[in-house]
Parts: sequence; structure tokens; C-alpha cells
Amino acid sequence: MGTVQIRDVRKSYGAIEVLHGVSIDIEDGEFVALVGPSGCGKSTLLRMIAGLEDITAGEILIGDRVVNNVAPKDRDIAMVFQNYALYPHKNVRENMGFALRQRRIAKAEITERVNNAARILGLEPLLERKPRQLSGGQRQRVAMGRAIVRDPNVFLFDEPLSNLDAKLRVQMRSEIKELHQRLKTTTIYVTHDQIEAMTLADRVVVMNGGVVEQEGAPLDLYDHPASLFVAAFIGSPPMNFLEGDLREGPRLALADGTVLDMPTGDPKGRSRVTIGVRPEHFTIGATGWPATVSVVEPTGSETQITARLAGQIVRVLIRGRTSVLPGETIHLSVSPDFVHFFDPAPVPELALLEDAA
Amino acid sequence: MSVLDSPAPRRMRSPLAHRLRIAGGVLISVIFLFPIYWMVVTSFKNQVDIFTNPPKFLFSPTLETYVEYMSRADILRKLVNTIIVATGAGVLSIVAGSMAGYALARVRIRGAATFGLIILLSRGVPPIALAVPMFLVARKLGLTDKHITLIFAYSTFLVPYVMWLMRSFFVSLPRELEESAMIDGCSRYGAFFKIIVPISLPGLLSTLIFSMILAWEELLFALVLTNRYASTMPVAIAGIAGDTVNGANWGALTAVGTITVVPVVIFALLVQKWLIRGLAEGATKG
Repeated sequence: MGTVQIRDVRKSYGAIEVLHGVSIDIEDGEFVALVGPSGCGKSTLLRMIAGLEDITAGEILIGDRVVNNVAPKDRDIAMVFQNYALYPHKNVRENMGFALRQRRIAKAEITERVNNAARILGLEPLLERKPRQLSGGQRQRVAMGRAIVRDPNVFLFDEPLSNLDAKLRVQMRSEIKELHQRLKTTTIYVTHDQIEAMTLADRVVVMNGGVVEQEGAPLDLYDHPASLFVAAFIGSPPMNFLEGDLREGPRLALADGTVLDMPTGDPKGRSRVTIGVRPEHFTIGATGWPATVSVVEPTGSETQITARLAGQIVRVLIRGRTSVLPGETIHLSVSPDFVHFFDPAPVPELALLEDAA
Repeated sequence: MSVLDSPAPRRMRSPLAHRLRIAGGVLISVIFLFPIYWMVVTSFKNQVDIFTNPPKFLFSPTLETYVEYMSRADILRKLVNTIIVATGAGVLSIVAGSMAGYALARVRIRGAATFGLIILLSRGVPPIALAVPMFLVARKLGLTDKHITLIFAYSTFLVPYVMWLMRSFFVSLPRELEESAMIDGCSRYGAFFKIIVPISLPGLLSTLIFSMILAWEELLFALVLTNRYASTMPVAIAGIAGDTVNGANWGALTAVGTITVVPVVIFALLVQKWLIRGLAEGATKG
């Protein structure tokens, strides 16, 4: 049984607590992505599941066994590391067969299982090569091959794609997804890239500062972010945020004195709020919030417009093409369904960081 | 990334500067190699040629001194002793030192860094201050003039040496290698012996060679702790040099010196591929 239960797990290094009680239930066969900015504790949590870090408090169960004091080799897990950690002195075949040899499995069976995994991953011509003779993408595949020959209860992935270039990353992403659909092995996947998390996972767990910020199906998180942090973290280009006072109308009074007509009021009745609108939920029309276009970026299938609204940058994403030019004033409107309300708080910087990455 | 991976920045070199640099290199090599050359050449001279002034560069070589000393049982015995002691001390210190170095590099122990530093600082004690106490201890244990005594004595300074060299080598290896091995079914010892040791072989071998050379040429402890049965080549050389009754016997001194150096040179040439790789590739990630 490949279930994983994380029960109120804490981790401290000396006096500093980095995980403040995390609980996650992972079903057999589920693909769960742990996502969050660096330092949020996602890798630490994964390493605790693997047995590479001690568990300060709480319990981790793999299947129905508490594994807190079980050595990594006895947890029946396989892990793919960010730097692949291929054994440099062993060729691909030996790398993939190493774990099986440690388990004293018969030679013939090792050969068969390695060949099988190599066929799935297209590694057959490379079996006799050493890791240094492989490209980045091939090393990545060997690392996955090493995991799948084990046929473990759980796969753990620690940022497996971040050492690859952008194009290869997208390709390997689909390969990982295809592999999971084929093998249906429980998978826990750590990444800082929300797109990877969204596209791969059945369920995304957003972590921030050592706690679970929100968990759910990727599109649920996208459509119903529970906090400003999740709203800012999930989605690219990121959600637009405006902070202001809600008044009768309803209208939103921004700090610089601009007053915007709102399509809807805050369902929770707050007066001071931060509203969020995703770039693709704006429509450009004859009426609405006036904004001055600064940049127009067509990609063919869609066009991203960067504009200034009351001195703040807003991003607008429209399907297809547009004749809008820089310097023009456009009017933005949004359907009431697509306005998110949050407690006012500074927008996390990571929204900008993720954009740059 | 090791330095070797990135091409050196190209500079425009003037031919003159290039030639000067080569000339400088040749000069330095000559300064370092000349004494060895002179020792080897002198060992083939007869007594008259040795003392000719100005020195003769052309002479009729003779094997007289070699025949005399290589047929002496005590010299042969000392040569065998030196091989036994250098090999024993080298192997013992590489095994103990590399495991200690690995622990310092990887295992999270409170105060590990301080501990390592203290071991290193213990090498600051002048050997002569240790030689006499060591002799007294060896005598109490009935261990004077035995190979094992010298092997242990040399290990006292070789183990810290190996430990520090290998520690920095292990630190440069990615941790994930062992973690991966531990997930794949190894214990920490298994990960060390099956993954880390094979990867570190060039580093281990070059460290082993340096340790053996240090043990090979050591004089002080050999002089104090051994007498007839287990004494080594440096002691023989010292004996010849200190024998003032017949005046300085340069022929014997250089011949025995050559006999001492030659095995080291042959050994170093045999393993130089490993030696250079080990020194240059500290940070290799394969």
C-alpha cells in the first residue's frame, strides 16, 4: 500500500523550528506536489519522508507503518535528486541495478527489470555508458530509471527538473506525468515552480514558512485561493492586486485617491481589502477602470498587456490579438465571479521573483 | 566544478614573455633536480673522481660502491624494513585516516570541527619531544626494535595528515551520492565503502603515496625506536654520514641515497596518472 500519512510533523534545528506542524494525507497512487518558495520547508519534509532527516515531533506513516525510526533503505521508497546523484563510477546499467543488487535479487531478474525500465525511458542504447558521457536530460532519465526499477511504494522527487534547460524541462515534465499514469505509483514531488506543480499533480500542497498554506486540486487552488499568498503564488502571469477601502456602490477607493466602481462587494463585509483579479479575467471595453498601456507583448495565441492603473502595474492577458498600442488608455472590466477578496497584506515578493525566473 | 573544467582565459602573450617563462621553469627544475643528479652521478664515481676539483663531468663509471653495499646484509635488511614499515604505516593510516576524515566531513557531531582542529594541532608538537616518551613506552611494552612500533609511531602523524586531506576531498563530493545509496539499500558504512571509496580512489591513492613517502624517509623515530632488527634506510644513511673515522664516505652515502630514492621514483612514475588526477580532481563530480 503506497499511502503516506504525515501527522503534525515538526522539525527543529536546535532552537529554530522550520516545520511547524504539517499534516498531509496522501492516497495510494496519488501524485502530490509540494510547492512553495525556497525556505518554506518542502524539501525538508520530503527528506523526512525519505528518512534522510530526523523527525523532531509527529509521525510519518508509509502504508500503515510508522517509519519515524526506520532506516531509509527499509522504507521501500525511491528518490530522484535535483543533481541526480548518479554513481559516477558505475555505468547506466549498474546505476539502475544497484538497488536491486543490494537487495540480493537474482542476476537474471535484475537484467530483466533494468532492460524493462530502460525500454520505458528510451535508455536502451545508453546502458553501457558512464554518467559523465550523458547529457542532462539523459542523466535525468537514468535517475528516474533507477527509481522505477525498484518498483517502490512511493516515489520521491526533489526538484528533479530544475537543472534542465527550459525546453527539456517541459518535455521531461510530460514524461514524468506519462510515467505516473502508466505506473500509478504514489508520488510526492517537490518543486518551487508552480507550473510544474499545477501541470503534474493530482493535488497541490502550497507551503509557506513551515506550514501548509492551502492544499487542493490544482484548478481549485487557482480558482479559489484561500490566501493572498496562494493567490500570488499560483498562476502565471501572476494575479493583479489592488488595496483600498470598500465604499457604498460598491466602489473601491485606492490610496492615491482613485475610486473604482466594483462589480461586487466583499461577501465577508470587510471595509479594508486587497482585491485580486487574474490577468485573463479582465475584458477590455468602452467602460471600466481606465488604465494606460505601457507594453504590448503578442505571443500569437494570446497577448499580454502591461498597463498602469492608478499608478500601479496591472497585467492583462487576452486571447488572440489586439490593436491596442502603448500610450493608449484602455478600460478594464471584470465579471463579479472573478474578483477575489483578501485581508489587506503586502503582496509577497515571490510573485515578482517567480515571474523573473 | 573543478578549475580544469573551465578553459583558462586567453591572454595575448608576447613571444619574449613566453620564452622567459619557459626559461624560468627550466631554471627552477634544474635547481631542484641538480642535487639528485649529482647524488646519482657521484654514486657511480670512484673515490679519486669524487674529490677531483674542479669536478669532472666525464668519468668512467664504476659499480664498486653498489656492489659493496648491496651485498651487505644489513643494508638489504634495512631496505626490506623500510618497505615493510612504509607500506604498513601507509595502509594503516589511509584506512583509519580516511574513515576519520569521512566522519569529520559528513557526520553531524557536536564539536566535530574543534575535534578535528585539535587533532591537527597535535602535529604542532616537535617530533623530538615525542620521540623519547615513545621510546620509554615502547620499552615498557617490550616493543622496541619492531616493525609494528615504527608503523604505529608513523601513524601518529600520518593519520591526521590523511584525515585532513581526505576530509576536504569528501566535503567536495555531493552528499546526495550517499543519500541515494542509503535509499537504495546501503547502511552508512555500505554507502562509504561501495560508493564513496571507489569514487575517491584517485584521492585515496595519491594520499597513500604521500604518506608512504613520508614514512619512507623518516629518520628521527626510526633512530630512536629501532636498533638492529627493524631499522630503516634513513638510519643507514645517517650511520654512513656520521661515520667520521674514515672521513666522509661520499661514494657510500650517495649510493645508499640512490638506492633509497630509486624505489620511490619508480613508484611515483608508475602511479603518476593517479597522482595528478587525485590532486587536480578534488572536486570532481564525474
